[in-house]
Amino acid sequence: MTEDILYQKLVSICSSKYVSKDPNILKKYSKDLSFYPEKAPRYVVWPTNTKNIEEILKLANELKFSVIPISSSSGPRHHGDTIPHKDNSLVLDLSNMKKILNIDRKNRVVMIEPGVTFGELIPELQSKGLRLLIPLHPRGSKSVLTSALEREPITIPRYHWDSSDPLLCTEVFFGTGDLFRTGTAAGPGTIKQQQAAGQAQVNPMGPTQFSPFRVIQGAQGSLGIVTWATLKLELIPTIQKVFHLQSNTIPELLDLQHELLKYRLCDELLILNNLNLASLVKKSTEEINELSEKLKKWNLIFIIAGRGKLAADKMSYLEGDIRDIIGDLRLNSLLTEGIINDNEIIQVLSQATQDPWRLRLKGGYQDIFFITNFEKISEFISIVEKEVPRDLGIYIQPINQGTSYYFEFDLFYDPTNDGQKMAIKEKFLEISTKLMDSGAFFNRPYGILAKEVYKRHDESTQMALKKVKKIFDPNNVLNPGVLCFDE
Amino acid sequence: MALDKEILKEFVEVVGKDNIDDGEIMTNAYAYNWCMEIFNYMEGKEPIPFSPIPKAVVLPSSTEEVAQIVKLCNKYGIKFKAQSTGLGPWNQPSTDNSIIIDLRRMNKIVKIDAKNLYAVVEPYVSGAQLQLEIMKHGLNCHMPGAGPQVSPLASATSMNGPGFTSPSTGHSARNVLGVEWVLPDGEIMRLGSLGLKNNRNWYNGDGPGPSLRGIMRGWAGAKSGIGVFTRVAVKLFPYPCSTEFKLDGCSPDYDFDIPDFMRVYVMDCGTFKYLEKAMLRIEEEEISFMCSFMSGFAVMAIFATSIEDLMDKMAIGSMKVPLVVIITARTQREFEYKQKVMGMILDEMKLNDIIGTLYTPNPIFYAEALRSNLGLHGFIATGGFQSTKGVCDTAAVCLRSTKKNIPMKKKYIKKEVIANDFGEGHWMTSYESGHYFHVESPTMFDQTDQSSVEGMAEYMEASNQMDLLKHLGAPFFVEGNKLHKLFGPHMSNYHIWLRKIKQAFDPNEIADSGFYISAQEESKEKS
Repeated sequence: MTEDILYQKLVSICSSKYVSKDPNILKKYSKDLSFYPEKAPRYVVWPTNTKNIEEILKLANELKFSVIPISSSSGPRHHGDTIPHKDNSLVLDLSNMKKILNIDRKNRVVMIEPGVTFGELIPELQSKGLRLLIPLHPRGSKSVLTSALEREPITIPRYHWDSSDPLLCTEVFFGTGDLFRTGTAAGPGTIKQQQAAGQAQVNPMGPTQFSPFRVIQGAQGSLGIVTWATLKLELIPTIQKVFHLQSNTIPELLDLQHELLKYRLCDELLILNNLNLASLVKKSTEEINELSEKLKKWNLIFIIAGRGKLAADKMSYLEGDIRDIIGDLRLNSLLTEGIINDNEIIQVLSQATQDPWRLRLKGGYQDIFFITNFEKISEFISIVEKEVPRDLGIYIQPINQGTSYYFEFDLFYDPTNDGQKMAIKEKFLEISTKLMDSGAFFNRPYGILAKEVYKRHDESTQMALKKVKKIFDPNNVLNPGVLCFDE
Repeated sequence: MALDKEILKEFVEVVGKDNIDDGEIMTNAYAYNWCMEIFNYMEGKEPIPFSPIPKAVVLPSSTEEVAQIVKLCNKYGIKFKAQSTGLGPWNQPSTDNSIIIDLRRMNKIVKIDAKNLYAVVEPYVSGAQLQLEIMKHGLNCHMPGAGPQVSPLASATSMNGPGFTSPSTGHSARNVLGVEWVLPDGEIMRLGSLGLKNNRNWYNGDGPGPSLRGIMRGWAGAKSGIGVFTRVAVKLFPYPCSTEFKLDGCSPDYDFDIPDFMRVYVMDCGTFKYLEKAMLRIEEEEISFMCSFMSGFAVMAIFATSIEDLMDKMAIGSMKVPLVVIITARTQREFEYKQKVMGMILDEMKLNDIIGTLYTPNPIFYAEALRSNLGLHGFIATGGFQSTKGVCDTAAVCLRSTKKNIPMKKKYIKKEVIANDFGEGHWMTSYESGHYFHVESPTMFDQTDQSSVEGMAEYMEASNQMDLLKHLGAPFFVEGNKLHKLFGPHMSNYHIWLRKIKQAFDPNEIADSGFYISAQEESKEKS
C-alpha cells in the first residue's frame, strides 16, 4: 500500500485534523532525553475516542505497521520507550483523551483517560477532599495513567499494598484490536450496569483466574492500549507534620525507616541524598548548590498526618510512638529543624511541578533505577559513588509494604555540552551493567538497557513473555522492539 | 486404572519407591474430598464424594522432582493434579488419566526475612506453622478464611484469598512476591527478582517488564491448571499486638490471657444501608485489625466452641445486621487513640456495642481471632457448607448481592434442602482499610443426604444466574469449562483469552483443567 493510501485511511478514521505527516511534528516524536537513537515515525495520530483506536489497530494488523502509544504530548520524555524501532511506525498520541470520567469519594477511586495529567488531576481531587498516590514530585504535564502503568513508585509506601498500586481496573485494546476490561470492570454487565448495581471498579484482580492488568502494566505499550483506568485514592489529611533526619551515614536512617514502615506510622517516607533533596525544593543551580552544602549527606524525610475530629489525637499518638522509636534507636541527634521549611516539603510531596526537578541542576540528567532489598542498599551506593564522585543524585524509596526498595541514581549533566553528554552515556551503560552484575533488579527495563537486563534473567521468563506477546499482540504491531520482544 | 509398570518405574526413579503408590487403597483414598458430591452433581455426575480415581499418587520432595514428574506426564500424556494441604474438591482430578502430585514432603519454611518483611514457604507449610515461627520476629501473615490449617502457598498462588484480617493484611493474591513455578511442560520459571541468574532473591515477583503474576492467577487461582507452585515469598505484617500467647486448659475450652491492646466490638447496624455507612466510616479511619459483617448466626458461631455453646447465644443471633470489629495496638497510645475513634463513630452513628454489656466473649475468642481461625467455627453446626456469591468490589455491591440473595435462599430453605439460617448466612470483609470489599454466602447442607446435596447445587446455580443477570459481579468459584462458558460472554469474553493462555502454556493439556479451563473447548476426556 502506498503512503498516500495509508494516510487517507488514517484520515478517514480520525479526520485530517488529527493525523499528521508534517516532518517538523514527526521530528518531535523521533527522540527524547535518553540515549536511544533517533527515528521518526511516519505519522502521528491523535485519537479522540476508543473507536478511532480500535480501527487503527485493526488497520495496523491488516497492513502490518507499528503503533506506538504515548499519553503526554508535552514535556520531556526520558526512557527511549516511545521512539520508533521500525520504519513503518505510527505514533498514537492519546493526549487528547483527557476526561476525568468519575470521581468517587465514597469508594476512594477515580476513573481517568490516558491524557489526564498530574497537573490537572491533583487539584481536581483536592477540591473533593481526595489525594492521588503520586511519584516523587511528578511533572505537571505527565500522564497519570502512564505513570501507574509504568509502575512508578509512589511516595507513601504504607498505601502501596501491592506493586501494582495505585492501578486498579482498566479498559484496554489488545494488539489484536479487541476491547477488554480488566478486574471487576470485566463484568457481568456494562460499566453503567455495574455502577447501577453499586460497583466502582475498585478490584483490579481478575476476571476470574487471570489478571491481565498485571501484564499490561510494565509492558511499555507493547501488549495493549489503555483507554481508561481506575486509580486508588486516599483522603486528604487536615494536619501534617514533617520529620527530617540527617546523617552522614545511611544505615541508621535505613533502620529507622524500616520500623516506621513496619508499623505504618507515617505517610510519605523516603531517603534522599543532599543533592536530590536540594534539587527538589530549590529552583536555581545556585540555590540547589547552596542548600546541598548545608545538608548532611543522607536525609530521611517522613510525614505524619491526621484528619477529622480526632486529628490532633492521632498526631499525638503517632508522634509519641515515633519519638519512642527514635529514642530507642538513639537517633534523637539526627532530628533536624529549620533548614527546609515544612511547607516546602509538603508541597513537593503532594503537588506536581511545571519545572521538572531533576532538570534544575544542570538541565539534563540520566537516571538509573532498579529495585533491591534492604541489605544491598549500601553496596549499590558505593558502586556508583566510585564511578560518579560528584553531581550524583540519590533517591531511595521503600515500596510494596517495605518488602523492597526503589533505588534511583541521577547523573546530572549539561545537555548542551556534547563531551559531557557522551561521557554520561558511557557512565550510564557502565554503571548500569555493574549494578546488574551485582544483583540490582531492573524491573522496568527501558531502551538500550533492556537487552542487557533480559540477558541476566532466566530464559524461561523471556519465553513466557514472548508467549504472552503472541497471545495479546500476535502480529507484533504494538511498540515492537521494546523489552524482550523482537523488532 | 493403575500406571503401566514401565511408566511407574520411571516415576519411581524420580521419587523413590516409598514415595509413589498406585495401589487401589491409596488411590481410592485420594479420590475422596470434602464436598466433592456437590461438584459431581453440578457436572451432571452421580453426587458421590469421590472424584475420578488417580492412576497414582506421587510425593516429590523438591522442585526438581516436581519438574521431572511433570515432564514424565508430558512424555506419556498423563495429566497431573497438584495438591498441598488439600482442602476441598479443587484438589481432585477431573479424569482417571491423571496422577495426584501430593506436595506434603515439601514442608519447609525456606526463609524468614524480618528486615524485608517476607517469608518463603513450600507448599505443605500451614498458616499456623508459619505464624508460630514469624511471631518470634514480632510478625504476622495473612491467612485465608479457610483457616490456619491450610497452605499459605496454595492461597497465594492457586486458590482464593480473602481472610478475616483482610482490612490489615489484604488478599493472598496481592501479597505475593517471588515465585518458583513448574510450568505445565516441566520447565521451571522464577518470577521477578527470583529470576535473576546471579543474586536470585525473593523480594519482588513482577517483571522485568510485564508481570507474569497476571498469568499465574487472577482474583481466583488456577487450581494447578497452569502448573505447580513449589515455593513462594509472601509479605509479612507486624503482629497486631503483643506476641505473648498464654494458653492453658484443654481443647476446646482453653483459657487465654487476652493481650493488653486488643478489643472486640459487636454492633447491630439494623439495615444494610447503615452497615455500609458504618463499615466505610470505620475503615476510612484505618484502625481495624478485623472488620466483618456476619449474619447473627455466624456471630454466634465465632464466639462458640461447640454446638451446645452455640445454642446458648441466641441473644446474639437475634441481631439483624451485626458488624464485628477488632482493634489491636502495639502501644498504649495507639490503643487509646483507636478506642477513642471507635467511641466517636459509635456516638456519631448511635450504634451500641454489645460487648461487655449484652455479651462478654470467652478469652479463647481472642486467640481464635489472632490465629485467623474464626472461619472454622462455621463447621460447628454441620460439616457441609459451601459459599455462593463472592463478589469483590464495593461495599454497596456486596450488600446489594446479599440483599437479593436472601429471598432466593429462603426458597431452598422452604424446600428443606439447606439449613435454615433465615436466608442470612453471610460473611463480608473489607480489604486494605476499606478500599474494596468481598461478600460470600456460606450455606450449610447435609452432605449425606442426596436431596440436600442436589438442592444445594441447584441453589448455587440459581445464585450464579442471579449474579450474572443482576450484574452483581462474578462469584469467586467461576472455574471449569462450564462456568467459564456461562460467564465469559458476559465478561469481555475473557474465557477466550484465558483459553489462549492455557493453549500457549499447556498445549498438551497436561495440567488438569477441571477447575481451570481446557485448551480445547471441550477436553478430550470429557467428550
